[in-house]
Amino acid sequence: MKLKKLYFLFIIIPLLAFTTHKYYLSLTQIKFKEESKAVQIIINVFMDDIEIALNKDYDIDLQLATKKELKNNDVYFKRYLKKKLQFKINTSKKEFTYIGKEYDGDLVYFYLEIEDITEVNSIEITNKILLTHFPKQENLIKTEVHNKNKSVLLSKDDYREKLTYQ
Amino acid sequence: MMIKTRRLVLGILFLTGATFGQNTTTKQGHTNQNKFKQLKELLPTPNLQRTASGAPGIKYTQQKVDYTMDIILDDENTRIYGNETITYHNNSDDTLAYLWVQLDQNMRAADSKSPDIQPSSIPKNTSKKRFNKTYMTAPFDGGFKIESVLNIDDTAISYTINQTMMRVNLAEPLASGAKFEFKIKWWYNINNHRTDGGRSGYEHFSKDGNNNYVIAQFYPRLCVYDNVEGWQNDQFWGRSEFALEFGDFTVQITTPEDHMLGATGVLLNETEVFTKKELKRLKVAKKTFDNPVLIRTQEEAEEIEKKKATKTKTWKFYAENVRDYAFATSRKFIWDAMAVAINGKTVMAYSLYSKEANPLYGDHSTRAVAQTLKTYSKYTFDYPYHKAISVDGQMGMEYPQICFNPGRPDADGSYSDRVKYRMIKVTIHEVGHNFFPMIVNSDERQWTWMDEGLNSYVEMLAELAYDKDFPVTRGYPKNIVGYMAGDQSKIAPIMSKGDHVYEFGNNAYGKPATALWILRETIMGKELFDHAFRTYSQRWMFKHPTPADFFRTMEDASGIDLDWFWRGWFYSTEVTDIGIESVRKFYATEDAEKKTIVFIEDTTEGLNITKPDTAESKYFYEITFNKPGGLVMPIIAEYTYADGSKEKKTYPAQIWRYNDKQVTKAVHSEKQITKIVLDPDLETADVDLSNNSFPKDKKDAFSRFKTKMKN
Repeated sequence: MKLKKLYFLFIIIPLLAFTTHKYYLSLTQIKFKEESKAVQIIINVFMDDIEIALNKDYDIDLQLATKKELKNNDVYFKRYLKKKLQFKINTSKKEFTYIGKEYDGDLVYFYLEIEDITEVNSIEITNKILLTHFPKQENLIKTEVHNKNKSVLLSKDDYREKLTYQ
Repeated sequence: MMIKTRRLVLGILFLTGATFGQNTTTKQGHTNQNKFKQLKELLPTPNLQRTASGAPGIKYTQQKVDYTMDIILDDENTRIYGNETITYHNNSDDTLAYLWVQLDQNMRAADSKSPDIQPSSIPKNTSKKRFNKTYMTAPFDGGFKIESVLNIDDTAISYTINQTMMRVNLAEPLASGAKFEFKIKWWYNINNHRTDGGRSGYEHFSKDGNNNYVIAQFYPRLCVYDNVEGWQNDQFWGRSEFALEFGDFTVQITTPEDHMLGATGVLLNETEVFTKKELKRLKVAKKTFDNPVLIRTQEEAEEIEKKKATKTKTWKFYAENVRDYAFATSRKFIWDAMAVAINGKTVMAYSLYSKEANPLYGDHSTRAVAQTLKTYSKYTFDYPYHKAISVDGQMGMEYPQICFNPGRPDADGSYSDRVKYRMIKVTIHEVGHNFFPMIVNSDERQWTWMDEGLNSYVEMLAELAYDKDFPVTRGYPKNIVGYMAGDQSKIAPIMSKGDHVYEFGNNAYGKPATALWILRETIMGKELFDHAFRTYSQRWMFKHPTPADFFRTMEDASGIDLDWFWRGWFYSTEVTDIGIESVRKFYATEDAEKKTIVFIEDTTEGLNITKPDTAESKYFYEITFNKPGGLVMPIIAEYTYADGSKEKKTYPAQIWRYNDKQVTKAVHSEKQITKIVLDPDLETADVDLSNNSFPKDKKDAFSRFKTKMKN
């Protein structure tokens, strides 16, 4: 296992060397759907970054979007997102359902849903996605509640924000 | 008569307004804010050196700088020594009092100001290794140690060093047409680029004790002097790359005897540096066009890397008309070669790699080099040099005829598709730089996009030619939306100096590549675009183009006014967002009495039109498009008819010339329209698709995904 980690480092370093050209940003789109009484969340992250983070945290080898892709990877994605992402709607903490993920080019999209929400006055978001392994990571949050659009940019020093819609 | 009365009435109205109105202010004028306003005031005035057509003019000149260099690599101390003679040809009309020389290595000097301009903070915690490196150890003793700057007769020349730039003070001004010869002797400590970063340096293999060297920006290089910047002597901070003159290089490089080396230029002493076996294989490779031929095998390289030669050998090169010089050398290198036919001429594609990079490099490196030469030659000009080398340098950096690339397989020799495609992508990109900026020699320090953007665009074509399913990650319009729709305070226009842009990759690579892709696919069409792009490349090959020369040539050669496109995509950070505001629908019927055709509006919701049997057979629609986004772009509308058939109609961007916010268009058809979708194939980088359909698409991305998962 130790050997594997070493190889892994070997792969990461060249990526970083070329990544003077790269940026670290994820986008979380949150929408309150009154008609379905649900808050729907779509998150996109860079595939190589999320793979590095999960491989390190869970000692796995994801190989996303390849023939050797780890089969039960949703288990890890779900665990990771549950750990890194929390929502408080109005005054109480709400759990989200992990619906699934899909790939588009170098991005992974996650679909999450919080059900049984009849009214949204405020959403408090805690987003620590990728912050541990990528100090320059920024997580942009865009929300739409009752046709009101609010957004906030979260980062290592500032990973929580309450947005109100009244 | 009628007109006169009306004027009178209007006059009275105005008068009334002026007398009794509450907010009576004199109307304020404005300057031309039209998005189609020509770029004339933004572009430099054409002159005899750079014409209004975008071509070099009859008075165009550029300097020439020739180098003769003796280089010694000290593997044991990871140092490099050089003795160079520079011949500077003043081809300009100006008399020069001094010359400026670039000392890029000084960016790594202990007293470099590059770290000083980086904001820094104390982290909550850090690794012990990083802590020691950052806080406990003295900075790396990098930078040029200039031993002497001398005239040809060995008398001293006065010079002044300003960080990464050195001014050579001429005793006599250098007249137009004259040349000046001088000598610089130098050495420096080579950086470990794997631990300290950098676009050159060495990689150390602790297992066998060997170093792979990728050496570049390693000798004092003359700055560009022209009538655009004067002396292009902006400091090298580490990011924005170079501006260099063309010239001829005569270079001797002394390395340990057991090294395999690749460098810019024609190797003059093959028989002295290669074995008989290698020479024989090379001969075969020069006639083999389908598969790479191994000149030095992995087995041979593995045998060589076990020992360290104490003797040295000297490699002799001559490079004609190149803007720079670089080399890579190691006793670990495997070498393969393949011939590439470029319009009847044979060019050699080479790869140098250590066993750690095999079989990934053996499988793909030389093939990727060959593909790049073919595709780029097709879209620009025939590759004029005799070879191109890709080196397992574990970075992504380009120099004339040689580049350093990333990617290695796992220890068991397997590699994922991601590692494979990334390695091929970067190899194509870096080899592609032979065209931009090594030959179409733009000024990288000022305009990163001119080589990175153009190169990233042609790179896409080469990737798709290499593998039609190549996962192209940059350049498609939909891929730039995330960046363009992002925080405006972190976005700079493409027309920004490289050192000042945020999100370098998106700004200087992704967005300009997308812009060119859109021009070709959506705005100009392949034929007109390709001709104009080729014209630009050929006009400026072995010359120094500026942004204006590119913008002007693309219009001049295609007959398409693109000023609005350059203004929006290159000079601003505006985004595309075009939507459907509303649709009115009508049928027509004859008013027999008045002998006119009357349009009757169907005011029901949706697109369905119910009309009496007596009505005209056609259906009529009045569509109001709005444009929340600041960019002007064509409106691409896809009409779906009742029978399921579809029709795509593109209204050129000029449809916005009178009203930048909203425009109404009348449409008529034989069949009822059931759906209208804007930009259905995601060609315009529209940042908000929620307003692109009528009737509004109730199913958003989330519901679509949820349905898919359920099934």
